[in-house]
Amino acid sequence: MARMKFLCDAERCIECNGCVTACKNEHEVPWGIQRRRVVTINDGVVGKEKSLSVACMHCTDAPCMAVCPVDVFYRTEDGVVLHDKDACIGCGYCFYACPFGAPQFPQEGAFGQRGKMDKCTFCAGGPEADGSDAELEKYGRNRLAEGKLPLCAEMCSTKALLAGDAQTVSDIFRERVVRRGGAGAEAIGWNTAYGSGEQKREQTRGGDK
Amino acid sequence: MSSRIITWLRAALLACVVGLAGAPAWAAGSAEAAVAATAADGGLIQPGNNAEAFRSARRGEHQSITFAAPADRMLIQSEGQTWRMWRNGPITQWGGWLLAAVFVALVLFRLIRGRIDLEGAPTGRLIERFNRVERTAHWTLAVTFVVLALSGLTLLFGKHVIIPLIGYDAFSWFARLAKNLHNLTGPLFFASTVVFVLMFARDNVWQAIDALWIRKAGGLLTGEHVPSWRFNFGEKTWFWIGVVILGLLVGATGLILDFPGNGQTRQDMQLAHLIHAGGAILFIALSLGHIYIGTVGMEGAMDGMKSGYVDETWAREHHEYWYRQAKDATPARPAAPPRAAASATR
Repeated sequence: MARMKFLCDAERCIECNGCVTACKNEHEVPWGIQRRRVVTINDGVVGKEKSLSVACMHCTDAPCMAVCPVDVFYRTEDGVVLHDKDACIGCGYCFYACPFGAPQFPQEGAFGQRGKMDKCTFCAGGPEADGSDAELEKYGRNRLAEGKLPLCAEMCSTKALLAGDAQTVSDIFRERVVRRGGAGAEAIGWNTAYGSGEQKREQTRGGDK
Repeated sequence: MSSRIITWLRAALLACVVGLAGAPAWAAGSAEAAVAATAADGGLIQPGNNAEAFRSARRGEHQSITFAAPADRMLIQSEGQTWRMWRNGPITQWGGWLLAAVFVALVLFRLIRGRIDLEGAPTGRLIERFNRVERTAHWTLAVTFVVLALSGLTLLFGKHVIIPLIGYDAFSWFARLAKNLHNLTGPLFFASTVVFVLMFARDNVWQAIDALWIRKAGGLLTGEHVPSWRFNFGEKTWFWIGVVILGLLVGATGLILDFPGNGQTRQDMQLAHLIHAGGAILFIALSLGHIYIGTVGMEGAMDGMKSGYVDETWAREHHEYWYRQAKDATPARPAAPPRAAASATR
């Protein structure tokens, strides 16, 4: 079975927000909700500016799932984290816990009361029958059931945003890193996790950069 | 000499209980300090190690978003993990065991010590202990407290305790009811706490005789009656630590959570939630003792809050100084059983 992942290549993202728009349009998300957003670091600093598109990262140890008081979250066979809006009580705990700001709530009723949580579904809908009207209404389109990948990545003009099986996505990214001479390697690999040492020397010998 | 040491030990224990309420705030502060400390020795970063980039990303430095989602203005927020660890860790686990332990302790107390009965025969003469306004304030606070406690515990422990019993769909319905009750009752609880505190603060100021109560541990285990004014040291502790400190703390943090969109950040709400949940667990643990002694634990204790009047024997045995003072202050009441008096005052 596939293990679905998003990966955004900071060397390629041009902050066009095409992914944000594609997502909003495809899923007809409620007003004020933005399932995907583009964060720019060092905006305007020459040579240091980097942009990244972020949405739900479909974590393996998902904090939203861990703190939800009514247990609405579940993980599909593809490793996609989905939730059941019918059971959501709008407490906002997933919004406190998520590192990526994925869960969002439409305001509903008095006192800033929260409605049902909405987040990126990896274009995989919800617990309703695949492709049903109820599913479309609550979660947006179920592209995965149609054999398609998330629209944000499909429509990315520079192919910075990749979505799909982790193995395929990292193969594509690894090839890019090698071809362009190392830039972007900081996102993956031994050195990022553990620092330099034997591995750093091996990497240098291998002709990388 | 040894009695003085015991007095000090009891005071220290009390200070620990109060200190616990502030613990989450302190811990969150020290976690931030730890992050700052590791970032400070950035000079030691090895070539090729990009950890510092992730650290600065998590601090949210130099980040901008063209179309900002209302919820979030930074790439990665690490505080959510701290919140998760505290909420799913100590608050759920220690909190749950604490409540269970207090409950078991009360059951054991009841089995060993039994009900605290009146020693003398009831005289049938009644003294007014709480007037109508005071009783209204108490019962408003009590009812809102019980609603909030039960709904709050449902949200904290329901996933582990109620879902296995009634199932996922039924619990979702129940939890939604609990959440809405909790959010709507909360402000009323806070308001009635403020009124209650103003109303009862004067009689809860510590008095010289309270030292005797502390030294004898209220006579709870020995069965000895320790004299006191209107409220004894046990009641005063419940008032100051329970109602005043924990009640106002839990109430105020609850308002921060209940009315989002008034400028509070997500981090503010995480901290408010930890204080709210931790404080509420302690508050509920203390309330179990109060509810026990006020209902099934002591003969005649309920009458004061039910009808407003207590029997002279009860007053003399439990609040001797207050009894002597109140006996002269209250106009003589016709001898009547408490129940008749209760209906007469309505």
